[in-house]
This record gives sequence, C-alpha cells and structure tokens, in this order.
Amino acid sequence: MLSSYALDSQVIQKDLCTGCGACQGLCNYWGSCRGRTIGYYDCERADGRCQRFCPRMPTDLAALRKKAFPDEKIVPEIGPFRALYLARAADPAIRGGAQHGGVVTALTELALREGFIDGAVLTRAKDTLDPDGVVVTDPAEVRACSGSSFQIPPTLAALNRALREDTLHKLGVVGTPCKTLAVYKMRHEGLPENDNHAGSIRLVIGLFCGWGLDWDGMEALTKRAAASGAAHVDIPPSKYHSIEFAPRGGGDAVSVNLDEVLPLVRPACRACADMTAEFADLSVGGARSADGWEVDKKWNQIIVRSKTGEELLELARARGVLEFKDAPDTALEKLKGASMGKKRTAVRTLRERFGGLDYLAPNAALLPAAEE
Amino acid sequence: MEWTMTLNEPGKVCLMQGNEAIVRGAVEAGINFAASYPGSPSSQILGMLGKIARERGFYAQWATNEVCALEACIGTSLANARSICIVKQNGLLCTADALHCGAQHGVKGGLVIVTSDDPSAHSSTNEFDSRFMAMSADLPMIEPTTMQEAKDMVPYAFELSERYRQMVLLRLTTRVCHGRSNVTLGELPEAPHELKAVGEWDRLVCVSYRHTPMLETLDSLQEAFEACPFNHYSGPEQPKKLIVAGGTGRLYAEEALRRLGASEDVGLLSLASLWPLPEKLIVRYLQHAENVLILEEVDPFLERNLQAIAGKHRFSIRFAGRGDGALPRIGELTPELVLAAAASLVGKTLPERKSAAEPLLERELNFCAGCPHRATFHLLRRVLRREKNPGVVIGDIGCYIMSSQEAGHYAYQACNCMGSGINLAEGLGQLTAYGLDQKVVTMCGDSTFYHAILPGLVNARYHDSNMLLMVLDNSATAMTGFQPHPGTGLTAMGDKVAPMEIRPICEAMGCKVAEADPFDLENTEELMAELLQEPGLKVLILRQPCATLKSKQQKTRPHVYVDQDKCLGDGCGCDKFCSRVWGCPGNSWDFTKNKAVIDPVSCVGCGVCAKLCPAGAIVVEGGDES
Repeated sequence: MLSSYALDSQVIQKDLCTGCGACQGLCNYWGSCRGRTIGYYDCERADGRCQRFCPRMPTDLAALRKKAFPDEKIVPEIGPFRALYLARAADPAIRGGAQHGGVVTALTELALREGFIDGAVLTRAKDTLDPDGVVVTDPAEVRACSGSSFQIPPTLAALNRALREDTLHKLGVVGTPCKTLAVYKMRHEGLPENDNHAGSIRLVIGLFCGWGLDWDGMEALTKRAAASGAAHVDIPPSKYHSIEFAPRGGGDAVSVNLDEVLPLVRPACRACADMTAEFADLSVGGARSADGWEVDKKWNQIIVRSKTGEELLELARARGVLEFKDAPDTALEKLKGASMGKKRTAVRTLRERFGGLDYLAPNAALLPAAEE
Repeated sequence: MEWTMTLNEPGKVCLMQGNEAIVRGAVEAGINFAASYPGSPSSQILGMLGKIARERGFYAQWATNEVCALEACIGTSLANARSICIVKQNGLLCTADALHCGAQHGVKGGLVIVTSDDPSAHSSTNEFDSRFMAMSADLPMIEPTTMQEAKDMVPYAFELSERYRQMVLLRLTTRVCHGRSNVTLGELPEAPHELKAVGEWDRLVCVSYRHTPMLETLDSLQEAFEACPFNHYSGPEQPKKLIVAGGTGRLYAEEALRRLGASEDVGLLSLASLWPLPEKLIVRYLQHAENVLILEEVDPFLERNLQAIAGKHRFSIRFAGRGDGALPRIGELTPELVLAAAASLVGKTLPERKSAAEPLLERELNFCAGCPHRATFHLLRRVLRREKNPGVVIGDIGCYIMSSQEAGHYAYQACNCMGSGINLAEGLGQLTAYGLDQKVVTMCGDSTFYHAILPGLVNARYHDSNMLLMVLDNSATAMTGFQPHPGTGLTAMGDKVAPMEIRPICEAMGCKVAEADPFDLENTEELMAELLQEPGLKVLILRQPCATLKSKQQKTRPHVYVDQDKCLGDGCGCDKFCSRVWGCPGNSWDFTKNKAVIDPVSCVGCGVCAKLCPAGAIVVEGGDES
C-alpha cells in the first residue's frame, strides 16, 4: 500500500490521528492545519518514514520496549519503571507559569544549561491556544513553553525539521504519550535508507495525558469561558467533573462542566491506551495524593524510566532545581489504576468502532479485557 | 504571410492556409470593418487583418467578446460598410441573441460572419455544429472545401448579403482553417467598399412583423442556392449510390472513391450552400438513389435534412452517416473513416492498411514550463486542503481549464462556458448562508475577465456572494496566441492605448481586492488562506506574466540545474516531487542515475521548483530574473 494511502485510510479516515506531527516536516506531502493532519498530495512510495513513525500505525509495543528499554523493570500497567517521585520546581517563578509543579520546565532549562541536550523540541501556545512545536536552544526561552494547551499541535514536525537540518545533535523532546511513542519509533523502527538523524535524539520527557480536545471546539470554549483569553487551563481530579479556565490578567477561575467538554475530545484520544507516556526517559504529570487537589496541583509526579532519565533527575537534585517530597505509598497504585482506566477505555472504544483492537492488535496480550 | 494578403497580382498562385484565404477574400471584397474575439481554429484571421488594416483602409478590432464584435459589425452595416465578424463555434453561440434579432432586421451594408467549428474539439471544450444556428436563425450559410473556395466565398457571401439584405454565415472547420493549398489571387479593389451616410429612414430594427419578410428572404436565398456555383456534382446522371458531402467530406470522398475505383459508379454531390438547402438540386440526384452516404463534420445535419426531403418526396432510400452508425457520432472525419464508410457503400472490401510507426504515448494536457498557473493551482490545492470541509472550485475558459487534470491537481468540480465561473460560484456562495459549509472559489484569466466576467462580478458584488474570485492575470490571451485585450494597452491594429487595469475596475465595483504573485509561494498561500476565511466577495489578482511571453522577452535565461548529489530522487522525503507532482515539463527524470534532472530545452528558468525541492537540490543561477 502507498504510504500516504496507508496513513490516510488506516489512521486519518478512521479518526485515529492524534495530530502529533510525526509524519510531518519530512517531505512536501504532509502538513497540518489547526490540529488536522493534511495530505497535500499522494506519495507513491510503498514504505516511508511517515507511516513508520505514526503512533497509530500498528506497533508491537513489547518488541519496541525490548529494543528501547532492554534492562528496565516493566510494570505492566505503566511501562518501564525505576522510581516514582513527587516534586516541583524550586524556583517559584517557574511554578507560577507552570501547569502543575513546573518540573518539566525546570528540567528542560537545566538540561539545556548543563549541555545535557543542545536543543529542546517543545510546544508553545499563545495564552493556552494555537500551540505549535518549537525548537529551543536558549534556556531562557523554555519558560514561554510552560503550561498545557489542550489542543494537540504537530510538535514532532518541528523535531523532524530539526533532525533534517542536522545542526543539533543532542535533542530533547517533550510531548504527550502519542508523541513520545512516535519518537521511539523514529529511534528504533526508522527507514533503513534514511534514518533522519534519529540518533541525535538524546532525551525524551513524556507528559501524562488523558485526552486532547478538538482545536476549534477548545478555542470556542476558551473564548466563551475567558473572553480575554485564559492564562491557565486545568482539569481537576475526576470527582470535580469540570475544566477550569483562569482568565488572563487574574480573577476567579471559571469552571465549565465536563459534560460540555467531553464531546470535544479528539476521537483519536478515546482510542489511546497510554496515559503515562510509557515510552520516555522521564514521564511527568500532575500529582495525585491524599493532600487534596489544592496542594496536589502545585506538584508533579515523575516516573523515572531509564538511565538517561535518572541521570537528569540526579543532576536536578544536585543542582537544587527541584524540591522533592515523599510519594505516599498509595501513589503508585493510584497511578496504575488511572493508567488501566485509560487502557480499558481504549480497548472498549476500538471494539465499538472497529469490532477489534485495530492498531493495538499486536499488543492484545498487554491489554486489559474491555469492561462490558 | 501578410504580403500575400495585399499582393495585387491577379492570377498569381500562392500557397495559403484557409485562415489566410479568408483574409485575402475579405480584402478582395473591400471590407470596411472587421471584429473578432480570438478562438481556435480561426484565431489567426483577425490577427492578420489587423496587420494590414491601415494599408487597406479598413478598421480591425479584437473586441472584448463576440457579442461586441457582431453588434459592432451590425452597427457599421447601417453606414453601408462591409463588415466581417470572425468567431468560433462557442463564440457564435455567445452571439445567439444578436444573431436572431439581426436576422429579423437584416442588414444594409454586407455582413459576413465567419464561424469556425472545431470537430473533435481539439481546442475547445465541446463540439458544436454551427449549421444549427443558421437553421435556427433563418440565416443563409455556406461552407468551403478548399482554400480557393474559402477565399472566393467571401466576396460571394458579401454579394449575397447585400442582394438579400441579410447576414451570411460562412462555416469553416479546423482542417479548412489550418490546411494549406494553392490559391489563385483575385483582383484587389482600388478602395474599400463605399460608405454611405445613415439615412433618416434607414431601419435595422428587430420587430415581430419582420418575421415574414425574413422567411421570404430565406425562400429567395433557397432559389439562389439552386444555382450556387460552389455546389458540385460528379458521377453518373442517375446514381443508385450517392455520397452527399459538405466541407471536408468532399475531398475525403474523392480520395476514397479513387482508391476504391468507384468514381464512375457512385455519385458525389458536394454541397457548399448548407442553409437553406437547394432542394431541387438535391432531389435531382436523390430520386434514383437507393443508398446514400452523408459525409459531414460534427452533427448529422445534412443527414437529417436529406432524410426529411426524401420523406417529403416518398423516396425509399437507405441513408448512412453519423446518424446511423456508418460513421462515428462524434469527432472529426478522417480519410480512413470515410474510406471504410465508402467501401461499405460500394460493397468492396478495404485494401489492407499498412501501419506506420509505433503509436505515440498518450499524454495529458499540461501547462507550459514555467507557467504561473502551475504555482497558483499548487497553492490552491494546499489552501483548500487546510479546510475542514473540502472546498468547491469552479473553473472557467482559458489555459487554466487544464487545471481540471493532473496539471492543476484536478482543481475544479464544474466548468461551464466562458464567463460562467463567477456565476456558478455566485449561486453556491449564496448557499453558504443556507447550510452549505464549504469555501467557494472560482477563477478567470485576464482576457476572460473582460470577456464575460464583468456582469457576473457586478451580480456577485451587489448580492455579496460568499466566494473568492481568483483573476489569473498573465497579461495575455495565452490560449489562443497572445491577442491583445483591454488590459494589454495594445489594439489589433498595433496602436498603443491606455490599458484598463483589473484592480481599479473591481475596486470601483466595491469588491475587496488583493494582489499576489503566485511565485511568491509562502506569502501567496497565506494570503489565499486568509481571504478564504473572510466572508463575502473577495477578488484575488494573481499576477505573473505568461511563461511563453516572458521567455520571448528574456535576454538571458537563468540556468537551472539539479545537484544530483543532494537530490533524494524517489527516496523518502521526496518521491520525485518535482517531476511527478509539481509536473513542470522542465522537471525531468534521469533514468540512468534515478535522480531528477532539468530539461534545459523546456525550462524557462522561473525557479519555482527550486523553492519546492525538499532537498534544496535545484540550483538557479544568473539570468534576468531568478
């Protein structure tokens, strides 16, 4: 099957495309507009990087894990696992602009400053909207990328372009689980004739992710909730059943019932089985603890998955850029439960939509049975 | 060739193209006025008339459209002028109202309409048989077979026109327009036809009571056509087998009968007077016939009319032709087709056909190398792909009609006649307020803009249709051979005049207008995308000269070449983007190295492919422009 036809028929037409951008920035054929992946023209190659990198083309995740994390302990629910921490950026200024505890911003700044990486592929939004992928080489530019956008931009297009230019050779990438999976496919399942310099990817930081929202829907919702734009958008634990918009320039957060938001969830995200970004050196998300949401929302939890991840975290500890607190005993179990919840939703969604596991089929043994 | 048009050596034999023969005939007829809008296959006629107009003391004009041309001719007829209007079949259809009204009021000075039909639609969107317009408007029509006849029929048509005070249609077809043969020159008049003041009681008014006199004129013309010197018959006096041919059919028939050795046994009636048909002449040869083969271009016009005559006279004849399957229902006649049909009439088997060479590869029509339209349609494709719902694109008539094919990435969903795009889009644009959630785009060239877009633009602007009109301004009527139009600042007679700019015209109407260069890929794509998001009527003028025109003006052409070490070829990241997708004839493929290569003969050096090459492997050096 032609590459472009494969992606179109197996991913885009089936509403499985996450918009990660892994297929973009490589050629003239693929592009993106407002979160939608666009095939401008047909490519007639039978095999191409676009389909190899796509996180929604069937992948044997166990085999990929074996290549990427040969010696790591695998926790079935959340993937490779060395340790779990609760942490936050030591610098209150970072925390002020961060989604939760500012760990990713602090680690990225540190990695750039210390030469751990020479460039970082990040996502930058304007007041939580219109996000896009950027390559940052100056640590001072990292903070502009703090905070989450719930629209999913094709960040990996920026990575692909940077790799193609081949001027940076120790790149760090920060992304949602779909993106980090694509990055590991780039590293380990690339096209033999053209590796696109995937060896220049040094560090992968994954972001916990429940789902992303439809681009236009999120824009309309944000503008309605915060007419002057939102400085921050967050989703509290599920018992609150809401999404909160903090208006730009201060003022009380506006809470919107989650029932209004759920129809805007990207259909592809319903079919995603990865909450914790299982393919990453470090995975970072909002803390969940017995302290409650008001405390938790200023803290992150970090899963360390690899030696590279551990090295960076140790460097952060040594330089004092992070503050740590003990993770409660229940934290890991809670995380496993949440992760399994997403896997079940994915299996159920795929079964409903396609009568089977579709792109996850090679991984039937790793997945939970769908709840009836 | 212009010298043969004005050479005053009666009796001299010159090799002439059919279109030239018409020009010579017009000059011999002493015309005062000529007007046309370009259209293949007769585009050359007015171009040549324009070049010799001053010398011969007449006026020639590339009119804004065919209606302007014909109506101007009708106007000059009031002053006793001999005027000639040249159109192609679609152009004749444009004039339908003027033609029917004109037929009813008649003319004073002679008025000849040369209409060229394009069988097989080589250079047209559609075949049309202009003989039906003669029949419909009750106008006389004649058709030449040879170049000599083409020349001689022009003065003959003027004489008829003046004698019967009626317009005369002279039908040509592609092979007569473009074929060449010897023509014996006639005398040139010392001066053009004499103009006369428009009298107080001169009247060219279309009113219903003129209908009967018009039909009586037609009856008189039918009588005159019984003795038309251009109708021919050869063969037995009482033929059992008869071929009736019009236009090119006669020569094909003569050749077929000669090859079949049947010239003595089969009658060949060649009709030059096509409407009204000379019934008595036809009956004379039809009455003994058992089998009749009709040879004619485009539709079974003669076939149906001869069947009617045979029916009226209760003849029992088996007719063969386009209507009954002996010949294809569409497309041009060819010597082979006629030979097969004639062999079947004669009852002989065909001599074995020797095939010449390997058949040529079938290729789609494509834009010229360096054509700005290629960039425009590349950008349009990209911009429309960005839309959540696929857009609707409406085409129009010009070089950009080829955008319906691979050359324009199958750009449009609909294309009707010239000038229709704006109106089709206008209608769709209104529906966007009624639930149609698609962007509506249409296009026109600069020449088409003046030709027939203007009234549609007034309509679209007044009713603020939600649509984008792209004016593809390449400063040329490129499709038909660079004839001047109101935007060029030139006239058919070579005068420099003040051009009429498209932008101020649109602005004066109150349209939102933007301009862009299709070769400025990034900015133009963004502008196009922005305009699509704006509600209401938008006009985007995409300006970049026609590549053919530009390459003629360039002193030195930029040198464009592929650095094959950088070229990705058919590898991932490119897959022959330049030659396979961009598709410019200048972007070729080196089969020995499996890499791209620039064809130095085709390339005009526009350099756009260099901007698109994903590997940066195409290099542009030097030249006037890069």
